Amino acid sequence: MDLDKLLETGDRCIFREPPTCTANCPVHLEIIEFISEIEKGDFQKAYKLMEKKIPFHRIIGQICDHPCESFCVRSAAGGAISISELEKAVLEYGAAKPKKIWPVPKKKGKVAVIGAGLSGLTVAVDLDKKGYEIVLYEKTDRLGGRLWDHIGESLKEENLSEELKLVKDKGISIQFNQELDKNRLMDLLLEYDAVYLGSGGWDEQLEFNPKTFQVDELNLFIGGKIVTRNDSVIFSASSGRRAALSIERYLSKVSLTDSREREGIFETPLKQDVSETEVIIKIEKQSSIYSKEEAIQEAKRCIKCQCRKCMDGCNHLRKFDISPYAYVRQINHNERIILGTHYANKMINSCTECGLCKEECFLDISMKDVIQDTRESMVERNKMPVSAHDFALKDMAFSNSSRFSLVRKQPSKEQSKDLFYYPLISFSDYVKGLYHGTGKTEYLFYPGCQLPASYPDDVKSIYEYLVGHVKGDVGIYLGCCGAPADWAGRQDLMGENIEAIKKVWEEMERPTFILACSSCIRVFEKYLPEIKVQSLWDIYAEKGLPNKDQIKIPQTLSIHDACGTRENSDLHESVRKIASKLGYNIEELKYSRERTKCCGYGGLVYYANREQSDGFVAERIQESPHDILVYCTMCKDLFVSGGKRTFHLIDLIYPKDNEDGAVKKMPTLSERHQNRSRVKRSLLKEVWNEEVDEPAQDDYQLVIPESVRQNMEDRYILMEDIQAVVKNAQESRKRFFNPESGDYLASLKREHVTFWVQYAQEDDKVLIRNVYSHRMEIVEE
Amino acid sequence: MYQEKKDYQSWICDKCQKELELTKVKVHYLEGEFEVELLNCPTCHQVFINESLALGKMAEVEQGLEDK
Repeated sequence: MDLDKLLETGDRCIFREPPTCTANCPVHLEIIEFISEIEKGDFQKAYKLMEKKIPFHRIIGQICDHPCESFCVRSAAGGAISISELEKAVLEYGAAKPKKIWPVPKKKGKVAVIGAGLSGLTVAVDLDKKGYEIVLYEKTDRLGGRLWDHIGESLKEENLSEELKLVKDKGISIQFNQELDKNRLMDLLLEYDAVYLGSGGWDEQLEFNPKTFQVDELNLFIGGKIVTRNDSVIFSASSGRRAALSIERYLSKVSLTDSREREGIFETPLKQDVSETEVIIKIEKQSSIYSKEEAIQEAKRCIKCQCRKCMDGCNHLRKFDISPYAYVRQINHNERIILGTHYANKMINSCTECGLCKEECFLDISMKDVIQDTRESMVERNKMPVSAHDFALKDMAFSNSSRFSLVRKQPSKEQSKDLFYYPLISFSDYVKGLYHGTGKTEYLFYPGCQLPASYPDDVKSIYEYLVGHVKGDVGIYLGCCGAPADWAGRQDLMGENIEAIKKVWEEMERPTFILACSSCIRVFEKYLPEIKVQSLWDIYAEKGLPNKDQIKIPQTLSIHDACGTRENSDLHESVRKIASKLGYNIEELKYSRERTKCCGYGGLVYYANREQSDGFVAERIQESPHDILVYCTMCKDLFVSGGKRTFHLIDLIYPKDNEDGAVKKMPTLSERHQNRSRVKRSLLKEVWNEEVDEPAQDDYQLVIPESVRQNMEDRYILMEDIQAVVKNAQESRKRFFNPESGDYLASLKREHVTFWVQYAQEDDKVLIRNVYSHRMEIVEE
Repeated sequence: MYQEKKDYQSWICDKCQKELELTKVKVHYLEGEFEVELLNCPTCHQVFINESLALGKMAEVEQGLEDK
């Protein structure tokens, strides 16, 4: 895995980027934090933030020209936040005595500061604090320069005097009535280690570096109005602070320019979408200053700009409370660890790889791709936790074994007469269609593994429909596309699977695949672009529905689009067309079509982190008051098990007389296997008239209470596992016995898992009390 | 990993009809191999693992080793 590329991707994420207000504050007050403290009513903490970032905060807080406000994103939704008024309120309600600073020995160098206006005072105070000996030259007989012009309603004369007295109290040497000219300046440059020139009235043009404010290569630095060329106090203070930093670096003989990209104002890449933000009108102050309550209300209007679009849409990112920026860093760490615990494994296996994050991100950052690469890398480095995907991969192997897998060409006209050749009855569409086979397999129906597992009785009906409605022969191909291997990062298995599918495709002379499952569609697009595919739902939409009169009760449904079909807008249309043809009204969800969410099954999260999967289910099903319509089997099964009435398109197209399709329960893991096998057998028998071996009878008649069934599902234990344990125990008597209860406890290792079954015998029945398993092995001596 | 007496007092080895005893047993998973005291039959040495051990401490150690 290319970790540099990974980090680059993470660095593009703007989650941590500052808001426009802070970016346009020349001294970078942390405005969101500042406002958050006010919102909490903690004016003291807000005050500390001002103190930390704003030079002479008690003066500037009263007179700042607040460039931040004109960039406030809130202006489009009720008016910019009154940041300057909030600062005044904080000075009023949160002011604290300045911290006592012990003077530092002045041993680092001598600096002359020319001009005791705001920028010069900032330089003097900043460098004094750092241990430089400062001499301040002022042409008048008082400190403050143009600050005195601001005396008025906000800034009182006595307050300004008080603040300026603090400078004197520091013991900085001040020389008043010093009108300096060019010659005198040259003298000072020789006399001092560095000179700061902040005299607004300096006539001579000076060439300076706009980043460092250094003049030529001299020990002369400038700031204030000569640099800002405006009357802004905050820009002036900022220039002084930046010049002070340059002087410090200059005198410490380190680079003047390193890591200073974002000094002063800068453009933040953060973009805040306020299109859905509620308009709230600015709070007007009732007297000369906000009351505490007014300030709190005004603070509440702040949007707290931060890009969380991907997180807003994704239950996974929110559950782990992580932005792509931080996520990528954790993956990077996880990938680099040699000795130690890979703490991010669980998180990495809890992403559904649905792709919504990329859809929501205006920078197209795709965590889906990052996670996929990461899982593949974990597998390659042998660091993928085996238990995370083991069951799903075994399930895939089952589907591709002889117990389900099947490839057949369409039976000949003679053989299939009873099945497909129906006379057209003019008053109804209730026909399976005329036989129009050609002998060449134009289409191969590939229902996937989950549709036959959940809808075993409908696969034959769908096949009959296809044979009757599309041009050319329709073969059938049962198997698993490999989606579990893809999600598990198992490129080895994926490659084998793809080759197997390709081989069938070639042998069948390259037919178009008809796909019913959205995961299959995704896998075919990703790995088998050479194979032409068509969605089953597109065919229903185009050719018409088989049972037109079957609509029972017209109602409103919300469509949950399958995340695997995110980019397939034609398919989204087809599904809506089918639903409306059937007489249903559709109410769209906020997250639908290309912005749809995952049901919680994707990425094998259902197996790797059931709690996370449940989180997706719970969030999605409460997004609509209506019944949900889906067209992916796993979406249906998960939503129903979450307690939501959910129809699969199959429930609507092939309704059952005595059944409410919307509450049809998910088959158990064992039933899924049995159903798939049953589909294969019944197709072979009923369509191809082939002899079929019936499955071997179970050895024992098991009686399993509901609580144990639930444990089987949660612990991924199949009926066949229990049968095998019991059989082994009964035959070998290798088991434990509890004379008090009469129960037996037996275990058997199957592949990598040891299964334990506690049971009792009652006549010819085996009563199952409990089941569990572990992967750790006992080393037999 | 350890087992308490109450976990096993009722169980006996069905084959040997012996009461179980706590002795050191070797277990391993992935790269990890340990010796732990587990209940087993003094005659045939089949090891007894109850639900709380399998789903508790054992699962925890398995997870830890998988994340190593």
